[in-house]
This record gives sequence, structure tokens and C-alpha cells, in this order.
Amino acid sequence: MTDVVSPAPVHPAAPRFRHGTIEAALGAALLLAWLIAAFGAGVFAPYDPNALDLVAMLTPPDAAHWFGTDHLGRDVLSRVIYGARIDIWMGFAGVIAPLAVGVTVGLIAGYFGGLTDTILMRIVDITVAFPFFILVIAIVGVLGPGLVNYIIALALVAWVAYARLVRAEVLVVKRLEYVQAARALGFSDPVIILRHVLPNVLGSITIYAWTDAVMVILAGASLGFLGLGAQPPTAEWGVMIADGQPYVLQAWWICLFPGIAMVTLSLGFILVSDGLSRRLRVSA
Amino acid sequence: MSLVSVQGLSVTFASDKGPVAAVRNVSFDLNPGEILGIVGESGSGKSVTCRALLGLLPRRATVGGRILYDGRDLAGAAAIQAVRGREISMIFQNPASHLDPLMTIGDHVAEPLRFHFGLSAAEARAEALKLLESVRIRDAAARMDAWPHQLSGGMKQRVLIASALACKPRLLLADEPTTALDVTVQAGILQLLRDLNRESGLTMALVSHDLGVIAEICDRVIVMRGGEVIEAGLVRDVVTNPQHEYTRLLIGAQPGRLPQMAEPQEAPAGLFELKDVAVHFPTRSGGMVRAVDGVNLSIHKGECFGIVGESGSGKSTVARTIVRLITPTGGRVMFEGKSVGDLAGADLTAYRRAVQMVFQSPFDSLNPRMTAQQTIAEPIWRHGLASKSAAMARALQLMDMVELPRSFATRRPRALSGGQCQRVGIARALALSPRLLIADEVTSALDVTVQAQILRLLTRLRKERDLTVIYISHDLTVVRKFCDRVAVFQGGRLVETGATADLFASPSTGYTRDLIAAAPDMDQAMAERA
Repeated sequence: MTDVVSPAPVHPAAPRFRHGTIEAALGAALLLAWLIAAFGAGVFAPYDPNALDLVAMLTPPDAAHWFGTDHLGRDVLSRVIYGARIDIWMGFAGVIAPLAVGVTVGLIAGYFGGLTDTILMRIVDITVAFPFFILVIAIVGVLGPGLVNYIIALALVAWVAYARLVRAEVLVVKRLEYVQAARALGFSDPVIILRHVLPNVLGSITIYAWTDAVMVILAGASLGFLGLGAQPPTAEWGVMIADGQPYVLQAWWICLFPGIAMVTLSLGFILVSDGLSRRLRVSA
Repeated sequence: MSLVSVQGLSVTFASDKGPVAAVRNVSFDLNPGEILGIVGESGSGKSVTCRALLGLLPRRATVGGRILYDGRDLAGAAAIQAVRGREISMIFQNPASHLDPLMTIGDHVAEPLRFHFGLSAAEARAEALKLLESVRIRDAAARMDAWPHQLSGGMKQRVLIASALACKPRLLLADEPTTALDVTVQAGILQLLRDLNRESGLTMALVSHDLGVIAEICDRVIVMRGGEVIEAGLVRDVVTNPQHEYTRLLIGAQPGRLPQMAEPQEAPAGLFELKDVAVHFPTRSGGMVRAVDGVNLSIHKGECFGIVGESGSGKSTVARTIVRLITPTGGRVMFEGKSVGDLAGADLTAYRRAVQMVFQSPFDSLNPRMTAQQTIAEPIWRHGLASKSAAMARALQLMDMVELPRSFATRRPRALSGGQCQRVGIARALALSPRLLIADEVTSALDVTVQAQILRLLTRLRKERDLTVIYISHDLTVVRKFCDRVAVFQGGRLVETGATADLFASPSTGYTRDLIAAAPDMDQAMAERA
């Protein structure tokens, strides 16, 4: 370029980070903090989460009990920290179980098509026709309250979203020429599905799964609140909020701190999901 | 005075890896009434240059330099908006995606008239009808209320031209206007553009990757490469006496200039026999699509057999039927005396090894998660021909064979160019040492210079490995150079077949004659215009 003067650039300087990097990093930091808290609960928690101290019950936050104590004199901070173990476990298990079911069904339905597809997708339609939370509560009601049964209920109900998502992606990918090439090369269907289709449909599933974890944690806490999830005296955030509810006017801290914990953990998952989706969208 | 004067145009895109210069210091003039060709390969900046004239670049682009239209400086959004549509308008490569599916054809053409000139609905409609007639849409009055999906690709492009001409612009920018169209349709659109230029003195800039197209209708041409103009001049001068080395390369790579690669055989022996093959698909409305119907063909050992046809002719369906990706609904494919449809178990595996295919889209034909080496090695170890590590070593040899540097072994498709991807695809197909290789439009997504390389590679491999090749293409000029025998398809049926030289010298059907006449060829176009 020589003497020609260009109009001022309309565009601001290129971003220093790739799109979504900041979100993903913030989310990962939040999650990492909670993971450290959960694994190191024995070290970080000042008290036994289930130790009763009837003398110090309903103590407001002070130097001895940073988050105060509940109606049985249990230390809220310790219970929040130990609760992370339950809620994080719930978040992961509650995503992986339906994901495994849904991805399998979606791959089979999308790849083979025809009658297989029709039958599987009608089962999906039927499952979707029931209100999600009511169905989960009904299944947990039949199986009996508890976290494991909650995860089983999720696997039975929440897989449909994954199945639909994966099937739609498979329908696109299986028309691509590398899948045709794999067929022409005489590879078996399982090889084509696992090696050539699955890795190329995982992107959007991963993004959805991180958001889904939030739903799983919130629904699990709600179930705990209703007495159908984790059982007292387990330190689980939903159970803690349920426990504190009768005292919420005198002792707000019993409900507030597990609530904040839940929000920050959820935020972590959401930020990671958001960051990943932006990054994948840009580089795709 | 020139109508448009581009002075020192530069366009830079912001990206994650810093600014990328797409166009660098480009200057040219457009004289009133001329057709200027802008030719270049992918990434040459020709489309970006064209879009910059109308301010149609994405926001992350930074534009430098000056664009003068009729002496006025087109700097800033307001100045561009004042000429956009009224003085300068544009048509694009894919007509289907530039028409709103919820607007009728008439509304598409009438809209700019109402927007720019404030005509009433009735006036605009009357004017739209005249415009549709002027772009030679037959029975335009009846078509006014048709929807875009009811028209063919060529018709859509004509509608797009009509709506671009609605406000009687003085300059029409055409960005690869015929690239997505069949050759016979392309010939019609080019004829229309030429007529518009002659009849109303419409100035045009035609962007194309195809020198054959440029040579048909352009007066002057500028050759772009890597964002710069490397040569400019009258089409005749540039074609007959190119100054720049790259221009010479580009001209030498034109299909019509390629050396004759076909070598018809003396005593052919049969390898494949297609007997009355038919592939019918049921449609949702209960009808039947006859993708392929009643095809009888025999393919000889060691020959290069060309299959040509326009879109929807069934040529790819035939290929997929031979590879047994599609099961024919009627007739049989015979290979060495056996019916391919009946093969199962070990026989089918042996057949899969013997018959391999290379696909059209360089990027879609490779698994994006696998490296070049993994892709090439996979068939070898999956078929149990070697251990995984031995297969990986063999893959490197295959890379040598397709002239792909070994340093690319660990690259994934995204880090490879289109031509390199096709080489990986060819190496993968050769990994099982097939006897028949089907190449389905393997060069149609590639630049002409890369196409020339791939054709040379295939010719060499054919001889070295004693391969039989079925080469499927819409490009008659390539087929003429590359194939020993040719079959012409139309609408799912075999129109005619014969030795390439005979077929081109004396086509026996009108359709083949039309196809041959419509195929753009640089030298022929120059000869005709002389």
C-alpha cells in the first residue's frame, strides 16, 4: 500500500482470546473450586457435617460458624462443603446415565433408519408426552426415595433429548462421503458407527450435556426438598434447604448458603457449556 | 471516462490468528459498456473484490483504498446505499439461496421497483412481467405467481438477473453466476448476459474461476492470485500471449489444453457388465423416481470409462450401484461372471477390495477426526491384510505413490487443501489394491491447476497398477482428454456410448451434440469470436 489513505477501520482490534475462551475458563475455574472443595471436604470442613450441637443450634454466622448452624446445631459451612460431594456426583451420574442410553438409541435409530428408527422414535414420542418432572417423581415413587433411584429415573426419562439430538446429527453425518467411503471399503456397521459416526456427532451432545447437568442438579435438589431424593441426615443442598425452610424467618442462613452453592455450581456448568459452544461454532 | 475506478483496494479480515489480507492493492477500471472478467482460483480474492464494490463484506473486514463510481467516491455506508440496487446490482453463484422461498417470482422482481421507485403494486407487477420476459423466461405471465421451488436452477438465476435489472442499473456484478448450473443451462445464461450487454449497453463484471466462461463473453480480463492482480488486458491478448508465469500455468491447465491421456485398447476383455440395471426410489407422495432405468453397459479390463451427464442424469447412482452402496431395484451388475447383488460373506469382502471409489467432495470424503495416515491405513488393518503398525508404514508408501509429502501424515483434513484431501482419498481407495477405481466428480470441486495434477496422477496410477477406471464427470472437455470410452446419461437413461474420439466427432443424438456444444472451452470460444 502506498499513498492511498484508507477509511478508519470500522472494526475494533481482533480479540486477544478465541471466542468463548473466557467463559469456558471461568466456568472451569468455578467447577474446579467445587471439585477441590468436594474432594478435600475432610480437610476444609471445620466440623463433622452431621455432628449435633444442640447448645449452639440456630447460631447466626460468626467466627466459630462462618455460615451459622441449623436447627440441630450442625455447622452449615461443613454441610455445604460435604454437600458438594453429593451434588457434583449427582450432576455427573445424572448426565452420563441418560446420555449413554440416549446416544445408543440415537445412533441406532439414525444409522439404520427404516422400521428400527420408526419404533425407537415412537418410544421417544411417548416418553416426551409425559410431563418430565411428574414422570421422574412417579418412577422414584415406585422405586423408593434415594439418589440412585433418581439417577435410574433420569436414565429412563431424560435420554429422549439425547436420542433426538444424536439421531438428527447422525442423519446428517451418515450422508457424508466418508461414511459412504467406509461402507465401500467394506467396514462393518459397528466399526462405521463407533469409529466414523460417533466421534463426529459428539460435539453438540457435549455442549448439551453440560447444560443438562444444571437441570439434573436442580431437579435432584428439588427432589431432595420433597423428600424423594437424598435422605436426611445426608448433607445434600436440596435436603438442607428443606430442613431450613421452617426456620427461614429466624435463621435465613440455613437456606441461603446451600442456595448460593447451588447457583455457583450451576453457573460453572453453564459457563463451560456456553464457552464450548462458542468455540466449536467458531472453529467448525 | 471509466464507469468504475478501483484504486489501491485492499481488504483485510480480522481472524483469531491476526489479520489476513484477502485483497492487496488492487486497481482496475471498468469502462462503460464492457464486460470485464475477473478470473482466479479459490482464495485469489476475486469474489471479495467484487463484493467490496457493493459494500457487501462482513463486519470483520477492513477496507482500504478508493472506489470511484462515475467520479463519486463510494466511501461510507450512505454513498454505497445510494447506488446499491439502483446503479449497481449483483447476482450470485447459488440462485436458490438468494431467493426467498416465501415470495413469488413476480414479487421478487417487483420488490426493488416498489422500494427504489415507489411504484404501486400494479405498476410494479406490470414492469416485473416485462423484465421476466426480457430475461427470456418462457410463459412469464403464468410464472409470475410461481414459487422459487417450482423453478429449475437456470430459471432461478434468470429471475435473480431480472430482479437485479429491475432498477435499470448501469453495472451488473456477476459472481460465479453459472458455476452451480449444468453446462447446457450455463450456455443459456451466458448468452443472456451477452445479449443484455449488447442490447442495452449494460456494463458487467463477471467473476469466474473458469477461463472458458470468461473467454465466451468478456472483452477484458484481470487475473488474480493471492489477493493481487497479476495480469490484466484484452482476453485475446492474455490467452494468446500471457505475460505472467501463473497465467501461463492457468491457461495450460485448461481442460482443452491438457495432453491426450486416453489410450484406447486393441483387444478389450470384459470386466463388468450392467444388464438392464434400474434404480427406482419411491417418493413421499406415492410416486416413483426413476433415478436409473434400463441401463446396459459393459466395461472393459484396463480401460478408462467416462460417464457424463448433467445433474439428475443418474451417473452417480450408477457408480454407487456398481460399488454396491445402492442395491438396484431391477437388473444385474455382473463382475467376472457373478451377479454382484448376490455376493455375501467372503465373496462380498473380496468384491469390496476389488472395487473402490473416490468421492466428489474433498473435505466430506474424509473423517475429520482422523489423520491422513490413519485414514489410509484403516482399510488395510481392518481387512486383516497387515498389523496396525505395518498398515501405518504401508500408508506412508501410498502417500508417496499419490505424491503427498510424508510430513502431511499427521494432518487432519482441515489442515489439508482440497487437492491434498483428494490425494488422501485416492490413496485410501488404492490401499486395498483394487482392480476397479470409480472416480465420481473427483476434480469438480478443485481448481483447474489442481485438477490437471490429479488427472496426471490418475493416469500414472492407471498404467502402473493396471487399474480399470470409471471416471464420472459433468465436464466433457476433461472426459474427452482422459477417457477411452464414454457413456452419456440423461434423466436416468443411457443416451449413447462409444469410443471417445468417435463420440465427440460424430455424436449420434441431439442431446450429446448440445452437451458438446455447450461445454465451455477457452480455445473454442476464442476461435468462435474471432
